[in-house]
Amino acid sequence: MSDEHHHHHHHEHDHGQSLEQLRPRKATPRVPEPSLPPEDAGSQALADALKSSFAIVKWLMVLLVIVFLGSGIFKVEPGKKAIVLRFGKPLQRNNAELLGPGLHWSFPPPIDEVKIIPYSGIQSVRSTVGWYYTTDEKEALGREDEAGMSLNPAVDGYAITGDGNIIHTRATLLYHIEDPIRYEFEFSNASNAVQNALNNAILYAAARFKVDDVLTRDITRFQDTVLARVTELVAQENLGISIEQCQVQSIPPRYLKGAFDSVLVALSTRDKVHNEALSFQSKVLADAGAQAAARTNAANAEAVALVKSVNAEAKRFEELLPRYQANPDLFVNVLLSQTIGQVLTNVQDKIYLPERADGKTRELRLQLSREPAKPTGTFQP
Amino acid sequence: MKRNYMTLGIGLLLIFIFIAILCFGQVRQSTVVVITTFGKPTRTLTKPGLFVKWPVPIQWAHVFDQRIQNFDDKLDQAYTADNYTLLTQVYVGWKISDAQAFFPKFEGGSVLEAQKKLEGLLRSAKSAVVGRHPLADFVSTDEKKIKFDQIEHEILKIVQDQVNQKNYGIELQFLGIKKLGFPESVTQEVFKRMTSERQVLSSAILNEGESEASKIRSAANAQSTEIIAKADAEAKIIQGQAQSEAAQSFAVFQQNPELANFLLSLNALELSLRDRATLIFDQHSQPFNLFQGYSTNLANPLLKK
Repeated sequence: MSDEHHHHHHHEHDHGQSLEQLRPRKATPRVPEPSLPPEDAGSQALADALKSSFAIVKWLMVLLVIVFLGSGIFKVEPGKKAIVLRFGKPLQRNNAELLGPGLHWSFPPPIDEVKIIPYSGIQSVRSTVGWYYTTDEKEALGREDEAGMSLNPAVDGYAITGDGNIIHTRATLLYHIEDPIRYEFEFSNASNAVQNALNNAILYAAARFKVDDVLTRDITRFQDTVLARVTELVAQENLGISIEQCQVQSIPPRYLKGAFDSVLVALSTRDKVHNEALSFQSKVLADAGAQAAARTNAANAEAVALVKSVNAEAKRFEELLPRYQANPDLFVNVLLSQTIGQVLTNVQDKIYLPERADGKTRELRLQLSREPAKPTGTFQP
Repeated sequence: MKRNYMTLGIGLLLIFIFIAILCFGQVRQSTVVVITTFGKPTRTLTKPGLFVKWPVPIQWAHVFDQRIQNFDDKLDQAYTADNYTLLTQVYVGWKISDAQAFFPKFEGGSVLEAQKKLEGLLRSAKSAVVGRHPLADFVSTDEKKIKFDQIEHEILKIVQDQVNQKNYGIELQFLGIKKLGFPESVTQEVFKRMTSERQVLSSAILNEGESEASKIRSAANAQSTEIIAKADAEAKIIQGQAQSEAAQSFAVFQQNPELANFLLSLNALELSLRDRATLIFDQHSQPFNLFQGYSTNLANPLLKK
């Protein structure tokens, strides 16, 4: 084994040597060939110069070819696709064949032409009619121009509603390109066509709605109508897109803001008045309920008391009856004295009038207050 | 000899490239090429790819975009059938359908020239169509009255018919209304009307609220009176029941009405003199009859002792 290895090593060494020898040997028959008939030193020098410049040109041409072919490398960013046109004819016949993100190679122009197409990203367009004249900056800063008492149709956009009123409305449409080949090669400016479809849709929708429906009462249905119309147009015009979302914003003319706001104020006033009436209602009904309960409760209590006292009276009567029957006069006198004694301790003013000595009757004058007596009022004899 | 071949090869390649530049052309996807021989259209190439032609002084290649072009016309004023002034602007999607016909009609086959022509056609078509329809066909709250699509189709048809008739080589793909408006002075009138409509609406809302509220209030009052009246009636029934129950006990008093009267009188006396009463007695009334027989309280021998 070691023998073999040694041999092999030796052979390799030999081979290396022979290669070194081969290179100049192989070149030599080429180089001296043109200079085979050497005439003099001058022509020899010319031949040498020609030879070296030919070599330079040759390498330059090789380099040029490499650069030329290398310039055909191109990159496709994520979310985009590429289509290659060879002599103007697409190499990719349908959307599935389009070149995806990554590095690709094609022949440089004029043989091939690479076209990059936005594909997966969400595109967005905004309507250009229907909104008053403003710019994004002015709007963001809140420094919009004062609203005039009329709208110049050349500058300010608006939509006419079904009931002949004027409103401002604008829509933003989000979509993605479903058929990039069509989107790119069938339309000179497809996004512009989408925008016009959106413009048409907001006018179309506004034209069949009442102003209050657009602004407050039926915003969703208005938005749905815009979406339905733009979807229909996109399908009709075969724009090769698929709609993701459509947002619509509508406001009354700015000049009429106060008038429209007063309606909102009226609405909230109406709600307030209504709520007040409802709270009055609940209070009155609660009061009535309480009063009714108080009356029936009092009646119940009185009823119970009446029955009880009558029963008690009856019981007492039955107890006293035998004693009364035993000696009615005495019984009456005893009971009367007892009661009067009790009454007298409670009574505020007691006046005793003894009989005059001459037996004549006394005259007593009482001044009675005409004022209604109050529970704590003073008493005047 | 070898070098001669190489030189020859390079020379031939250069000649080929030169001829290729002169004689070859591309039809790019979505374009059409019209070849003119001494200024006259002779060939129309629609398939994408390479083609061969005679060099420039003999044959020229003219390239036309076949894609759908967007074109918006100007805002034009027209009168509706019921004499409203209406401003309309439309957008059109159009394309060159016959490049060979299109090419000589417009100077150098210019798209801009064609659009200028289209603009004129659109203006007259719009004013004709707007004049045929009342305003309610454009805007209406009645879904059945509105003829938005129909109006667009009518304009499209008029323009397409004229384009066909004159053989412009143009095809209209679609047409839609882009802007619909009133003249500026009319917007001012509309604003005035809208303002007064708002005022009417506001006061209607307020009045509605008030009347609703007073309805609720009076209903509440009526209901409350009813509840109390019902409770009163119930109380009377309860009292009546109690009295009839109490009356059953009255039978007991029948045993001796005299005593019963006496006891009830005593009760009444007690109740009526519970407070704030002034009583005046003489010596005949019990228990002051005890004073009888003594002259006066001043000459009371018992006190004088």
